[in-house]
Amino acid sequence: MKALIIDDSRAMRSILRRIVAGLDFETFEAANGQEALDQLNDGLMPELCLVDWNMPVMDGYTFITSVRANQGWRNITLMMVTTESEQGQIVKALAAGAHEYVIKPFTPDAIVEKLEILGLVGRGIPA
Amino acid sequence: MSSIAAPEAADVQAVTEQVWSSFLGDEEPLIPRFMEPGHPFDAEEVWSSAISIGGGWSGTVTVELSANLALELTRVMLALEAGDPISDEDLADAVGELVNMVGGNIKSLMPGPSVLTLPIVAAGRAAHASDAIEVARLDAVWAGEPVRVSVHTRASE
Repeated sequence: MKALIIDDSRAMRSILRRIVAGLDFETFEAANGQEALDQLNDGLMPELCLVDWNMPVMDGYTFITSVRANQGWRNITLMMVTTESEQGQIVKALAAGAHEYVIKPFTPDAIVEKLEILGLVGRGIPA
Repeated sequence: MSSIAAPEAADVQAVTEQVWSSFLGDEEPLIPRFMEPGHPFDAEEVWSSAISIGGGWSGTVTVELSANLALELTRVMLALEAGDPISDEDLADAVGELVNMVGGNIKSLMPGPSVLTLPIVAAGRAAHASDAIEVARLDAVWAGEPVRVSVHTRASE
């Protein structure tokens, strides 16, 4: 399976890459929503996108609404991974089409648990 | 989560410890230390980062840390080996993400809705507006290296 990690922080992308690569995902990276959309338009079809909210050029919320507006990308699972922790923001992201929401800081176990809930990894797989 | 009128030192400490333990582990604890108000941050070489919150509550969250601590933080976040080269760009990225997480979690304690800016990072002490008022601060050491997290508001707000 493929995972696209979308975060303007290289350090955060590195952390997330290690977690999902440990779950046997092939990983791809983008530094903002526009870069991620460009990769999807170029044919990348990940099963999972991990999406930060606050990014330059295009934020994660705009990315999610753009993905959900395209029927061809309806099978992509979208998980927000962000410091945005206001209830209103969480509801807004989920209403726009995010499947799950993880608030930074997180532990690897928190990411794995969410992926288990989403059925993208089997339960009991170590991070 | 209920909101508060202004962040206090205990809030800053709780948020900072949560971020710290998530990314740097619990083996080496973040140890708070007392410093008099107005006492300058005491590392010789400093990296700093700041992020602003605007909306239901407005303020700025700043992290200052010694260059050695910034290097170690970067090394851990990027999973680099001892001796691997670390660029200023890497340092700025890691220190910026640190204040992003601390600031985002302080924002969640405050009245909303509000927005968070992108972080600003500098090699050197943090700068503040001339009418900035410090409302909360944490001074701590991690692995013998100093770190300061402070929250400022504007006198005009």
